[in-house]
Amino acid sequence: MVNPSLLIAVPLAFAFSIPLFGLVSKKIGKYIPVVALLINVGISFILIPQILKKPAVVSIGGWSPPFCINLVVGPLGVFLVTLISSIGLLVAIYAISYIKEEPTEKYHMLFLLLITGATGIVLTGDIFNLFVFFEILCISSYALVAYNKDKEGTEAAMKYLIQGSVGSSFVLIGIALLYGMFGTLNMADIASRVTSADPTFLFISLAFLITGFGIEAAVFPLNAWLPDAHSSAPSSISAILSGIAIKTGVYGVARMIYTIFNADGILTFIAFLGLLTLLIGEMSAFRQNDIKRLLAYSSIGQIGLIVFALGIATSLGVFAGLFQIVSHALAKALLFLAAGYMIYRVGSKSIDSLSGLGRKMPLTSFAFTIGSFSLIGLPPFAGFISKFSIVYAAIQVKKPIFLVFVVIALIATVIEAGYFFKVVQNLYFKEGKNVDNVTETSGYIIVPMIILVISIIVIGIHPQFITGLLKGAAGELLGRTGYIGWVLGGS
Amino acid sequence: MRRIVSIIILIIIAVGFIFAFSKIPFGKDKINVANYYIKKGIKQTGAVNIVTSVVLNYRGFDTLGEVTVLFIAAVGLGAVLFVERKIQKNMDDKEDKTKRASLILRTGSRLLFPLILLFGAYIFVHGHLTPGGGFQGGAIIASGFLLMYLAFPKQRINKKTSGLAESLSGLIFVGIGLLGLVFSGYFLTNFLPKGIPNTLFSAGIIPIIYIAIGFKVGFELTGIIDDLLERSR
Amino acid sequence: MSGIYNWMYYIASGGLILIGLYIVLVKTNLIKIVIGLNFIDTGINILLICIGYVRGRTAPIFSRPGISPANVVDPVPQALVLTAIVIGVAVLALALSIVIKVYQHNKTLNVTKIKGLKW
Repeated sequence: MVNPSLLIAVPLAFAFSIPLFGLVSKKIGKYIPVVALLINVGISFILIPQILKKPAVVSIGGWSPPFCINLVVGPLGVFLVTLISSIGLLVAIYAISYIKEEPTEKYHMLFLLLITGATGIVLTGDIFNLFVFFEILCISSYALVAYNKDKEGTEAAMKYLIQGSVGSSFVLIGIALLYGMFGTLNMADIASRVTSADPTFLFISLAFLITGFGIEAAVFPLNAWLPDAHSSAPSSISAILSGIAIKTGVYGVARMIYTIFNADGILTFIAFLGLLTLLIGEMSAFRQNDIKRLLAYSSIGQIGLIVFALGIATSLGVFAGLFQIVSHALAKALLFLAAGYMIYRVGSKSIDSLSGLGRKMPLTSFAFTIGSFSLIGLPPFAGFISKFSIVYAAIQVKKPIFLVFVVIALIATVIEAGYFFKVVQNLYFKEGKNVDNVTETSGYIIVPMIILVISIIVIGIHPQFITGLLKGAAGELLGRTGYIGWVLGGS
Repeated sequence: MRRIVSIIILIIIAVGFIFAFSKIPFGKDKINVANYYIKKGIKQTGAVNIVTSVVLNYRGFDTLGEVTVLFIAAVGLGAVLFVERKIQKNMDDKEDKTKRASLILRTGSRLLFPLILLFGAYIFVHGHLTPGGGFQGGAIIASGFLLMYLAFPKQRINKKTSGLAESLSGLIFVGIGLLGLVFSGYFLTNFLPKGIPNTLFSAGIIPIIYIAIGFKVGFELTGIIDDLLERSR
Repeated sequence: MSGIYNWMYYIASGGLILIGLYIVLVKTNLIKIVIGLNFIDTGINILLICIGYVRGRTAPIFSRPGISPANVVDPVPQALVLTAIVIGVAVLALALSIVIKVYQHNKTLNVTKIKGLKW
């Protein structure tokens, strides 16, 4: 069996060695992330069937679990790792020719380390190690948001840095309180002792942890940084931030609530917050005239939908939420990549300037259209199945309040359809003013878009490719005694 | 308005703190998992400094992450403050050539610089025996370089060499971890002989990793100082 | 007397965290905000050390004879503080570099005067 710690060690080693490769030739640097993530995708695909049979608990350093840091590779972990490394690989291929601003070598190092941080977050079984990887993810994304060094980029990065570091401080306070109470940092160990502690104390530490992770996840009152950061970063980074980084925040919240604290009481509140996020995100997106800001606000809306689905807390609801994570990651990465290249060719971010591109850049426009249809939830794309299962799961709960929630979610979907149709109509049915010398993209830019389009359609038509994995992952989130048993040996 | 809202938020947090702290008695023995480290640490890792054995052996993965965070900061700083070469040259020409540090500072720092480097090296080589280690030693070395920057504002370190040293020492850390995976099946295992505790050549991989970290942190902090000095004008 | 002795360190750490948060929320100068973030970090470090402290015991280093496992403090929070300090330094360095860039673009550090994006 492949050792899952390679999933973190290999990209780290490659990231450290980029300056050494730079000695041989300056051009090698941009291919290193592709190679490293290709290895990661390979490892995770080898791991999937093994993990579905038997989850792996890998100790780092060779001691038995509560005494060392360990990786817990259950179905949820392997699912998220596969998603992270696949999206990361596609974006890395896109970045080979998209990133031209110097110093490109540093961009590729930071990008690879960002992906490593996300991988570490979803695999680790130790709460302080989770914090360390969370910081790796956050600090590299602050630097990457500011990478273009223009006015908006640096301001957005500053805003993101201030809010993000307050958030991670809150996470650290929560961890300190938990350590003071239980004297251990292993998540399974804390989870098995949680019942012995005072409920108010637990609520306080849970509040710190959720606020901290909620800032990264951009749940409603904490999402002020997201539209600026996602819209002024380089487009490849926007795709990663929207597709992966905010999902790790959601993972953090879900892991805290379900596995560690078993806090059933606040789930309805979480679902309500998710719904509020959804509504506010979609309504703000409707008013935007800047294509990247529109996509960023739509990400807030979609994250709200995911949080809402996780808050339903039936196995179908969690399953639907995880499915929504997949379909949103694929669709939003595709949208940002396509929009990024259109902006590069046209030279403006406003939606009006994109009109008429449907004829000049047929493949890119087609990819954008597929991505937006999938986000809206039209059949036969992946987004249809995830949205449909969320609605179905919410109706099945049979609480009157959830019926109200479903109605609100459907209204939000209609708003979403409204603005995406506006953009698509702009692309195809309006005469462009100054798009005469615009040409179609080629090479490394178009390959990842085509792969994303194909996977959206394939998952939409044959969801059974991933449902087995997603059901296992939902089972891991809901079955906390199972999780404790894997790590501490069933005692 | 903003002030009132903030104060209300702070009061809520303060109440939470008071309640939470009252449940964690100060100064009482509430050691749980760490008892294992205290009792078995010397035998299992060979390091008499238990904090070091926790940092590099039981929780070595955290330290790898920590080294990565510092690396990201150095790289990110270079990326954010990056200026094209040509512009850089022009600015150097315009600069006032007469700016010099005082005689006392120049002579004193020449005298102190090797001693500071020696002290930093002592701290990180003896990380498994005495308080201190790679991070502390590296910070001391960087402070020596900071002194040199103050005394000789025109001099610069060679960025290429320091960058290579950074990535080499990072690779050594990951490489030792991977060797552990090869020899005993676990990432970052202490696979070397432990030696006799309380001697310099003991504790297996711990001194080697701390030397790598010492070099890495020293060069990274120096690089951060250099970037902030050079690019912020 | 002993009551204050028990609470002194918690008050220091909680106070530093709250002062830092107040600075971040209310002040408008970017450098002050960065200093506020550093206040929060320092407060958390003190909190971690307080949690690991056991009265009347010494550092967990067995280099001299006469130190038995029964009279040392908890080593884990000290290891955690080491990590937290390094992370704090990293965030501080990056924050300062971004502040430099913001200043070069806007010629001001006052966040209410930076109009590019809505704060």
